[in-house]
Amino acid sequence: MTGADLLLDHKLVICVGSGGVGKTSVAAALGLQAALAGRKVLVLTIDPARRLANSLGLPRFGNEAVRIEVPDCPGELWAMMLDPAHTIRDLIGRVSPDAATAERILGNRIFLAIADSIAGSQDYMATEKLYDVVSSGTWDLVVLDTPPVKNALDFLDAPGRLARFTDQQIMKWFLAPYEKERGFGRLLLGTSALVFKLLGYIFGHAFLDELSEFFQAFRGLYDGFRQRSEAVIAMFRHRGTAFVVVCAPTSASVETARFFLGELRGRGMPCAGVIANLRHRVGPFEPDPEALLGALARGLGQDLAPHTAETLLARLGAADRRLRELAALEERRLTQVQQAMGGGQRFWSAPRLEGEVHDLPTLRRLGEHLRSA
Amino acid sequence: MSIQGLVDARLVLVTGKGGTGKSSVAAALGRLSAERGRRTVVVEIDVMQTSMPGLLGRTPEYAPRPVAPHLDVCNVTWAHALEEWLEQAIPVQRVVKLILRNRLVELFLDATPGVREIVILSRVATLCERYDQVVVDLPASGHAIALLQVPWVADDLLHDGPIHQRAGELIALLGRPDTRPCVVVLPEELVVNETLELCEGLARVAPVLAPPVLLLNQAAAPSLAEDERVLLERIAAVVDPASAAGELAAAGRWEADLERATAQALERLSTLGRPVVQFPRLGALGGFQGGPEAVVRQLARALARELAIPTGGEP
Repeated sequence: MTGADLLLDHKLVICVGSGGVGKTSVAAALGLQAALAGRKVLVLTIDPARRLANSLGLPRFGNEAVRIEVPDCPGELWAMMLDPAHTIRDLIGRVSPDAATAERILGNRIFLAIADSIAGSQDYMATEKLYDVVSSGTWDLVVLDTPPVKNALDFLDAPGRLARFTDQQIMKWFLAPYEKERGFGRLLLGTSALVFKLLGYIFGHAFLDELSEFFQAFRGLYDGFRQRSEAVIAMFRHRGTAFVVVCAPTSASVETARFFLGELRGRGMPCAGVIANLRHRVGPFEPDPEALLGALARGLGQDLAPHTAETLLARLGAADRRLRELAALEERRLTQVQQAMGGGQRFWSAPRLEGEVHDLPTLRRLGEHLRSA
Repeated sequence: MSIQGLVDARLVLVTGKGGTGKSSVAAALGRLSAERGRRTVVVEIDVMQTSMPGLLGRTPEYAPRPVAPHLDVCNVTWAHALEEWLEQAIPVQRVVKLILRNRLVELFLDATPGVREIVILSRVATLCERYDQVVVDLPASGHAIALLQVPWVADDLLHDGPIHQRAGELIALLGRPDTRPCVVVLPEELVVNETLELCEGLARVAPVLAPPVLLLNQAAAPSLAEDERVLLERIAAVVDPASAAGELAAAGRWEADLERATAQALERLSTLGRPVVQFPRLGALGGFQGGPEAVVRQLARALARELAIPTGGEP
């Protein structure tokens, strides 16, 4: 598979990897390449830190797709940043049987706590939005930039915490003593009675009452949640989906990449390969600063402080040696990643570009490196 | 003063954007504290992929295990923390076993918003009673904020019971003068952006928390004189980038870029009005040799120098 195949043959490309590897820039660069190849592309980020907006040089953008103007581009490049609180409200509205149920849930304090402040629900909401966006048919290709690794796995573990929370079994069990027609207490025998007493002790009865109200409102929604999450999993495994593991040649990132390759394999997710970003590149021979630049430096530095040429040449030699040492170390680390890759998976790499990658020309250069590598 | 506060703190909460070297810094802070003779534990929070075997030479388990004199490491896993918490909250052992055997109850506790976070933070609080210093390797930025705000959410949602009580205790712990958040940052523009947002977020969700100490990792100290910089730019403008001479110039610009980025990061971070501790970048610390464990030792040395404090550890 070449870089072009990755972008032309798929409908969804999911970039995973640890933080700080330029994942967002890679996602944006892949999106840009696909747009330049004529596709209508959406780059979606679920990153609360708005890195994609940064990378695309935009102040910020929200839950709506924003068109990025690309000169001389046959396709289209769009970007969207997920707003989890917004998405969760949309979702409740959609799966609720009627407006009154939706209102009851949206007004419940426990729901508000889940929606706004509990770790993990953002990841679940991301899959929700992703499903919407991919199944809408609006885009030829969606490129997803996921949050850093330790949580990116939560995001794969759909249906996620919110859906677990509304698990039918738990709800039935929990709501049993609240069923009006049976009368509180009649079902509470043995273990259940004891456990409920304890839950009341742990959480306080006021909270349990509130929770039961939440569950009762949520009860009819569980099937909707489950169906959605099954559809999301099916989307992940679909032929048109490709995961790519993005890494940098640091020891921590290489470890994470290997871990991720194993996890994706274990979960049966289609992984196209690894993109090694931010590599330092050096030429084959150690250069001699005096021989190569001595005369030039002295000529160009006549108006500067005495010995500037000499001290600079010494610094250049030292910098080059450090860079070589670093490049050799990176090479060894990336070999470890390649050894962890399975058959049919590809390895792409891109150099660390001078300055920071957050304008279209630089993203374009990054994309060209990926395409040709 | 606040930097000194970091080494004297009881609880140090380390966070930052992913990839900044949070875990390495947490390990280095732990090592430094232990070398000063304080009983110290480095704590990972329910991680699936631990960084500590490479950094401290041991895979952390729930129970703290020694890695060096006075230094332990552990991983606060949810299932273990829940069991311990229930044992504390419910005095009758038999009942705890009964609860833990009931899968639905476990699911319920896991799924109920906030419980997981309270139970995990509760374990951290317990460790604070047993050690002179507890260094927590928190999750990255946004997720650290989500974790740290849970005591307030729980305090608001629950009106009584042990979780409510524990939430109150955790708020008090986070507000103690010897509790120090510490944000690791790299000299890169996007990382600095996220760090500024993170500091703002921490102040918003956990107002009792002391302002964070900023640790600039991989800082490149200025070494190029202004005239050298000028000459380098002149050379770079005329040599063929693809030639060997161009490569040399590129190596020089690589270091010049790192120095410039460090200066810019320091300037932008200074808007927070917080002191910034600098960790020199690896190449400047004597090469890229040695594994992550050697890096942690070097970081600990560098921090000791920065703070001008004596350590009893090996060189």
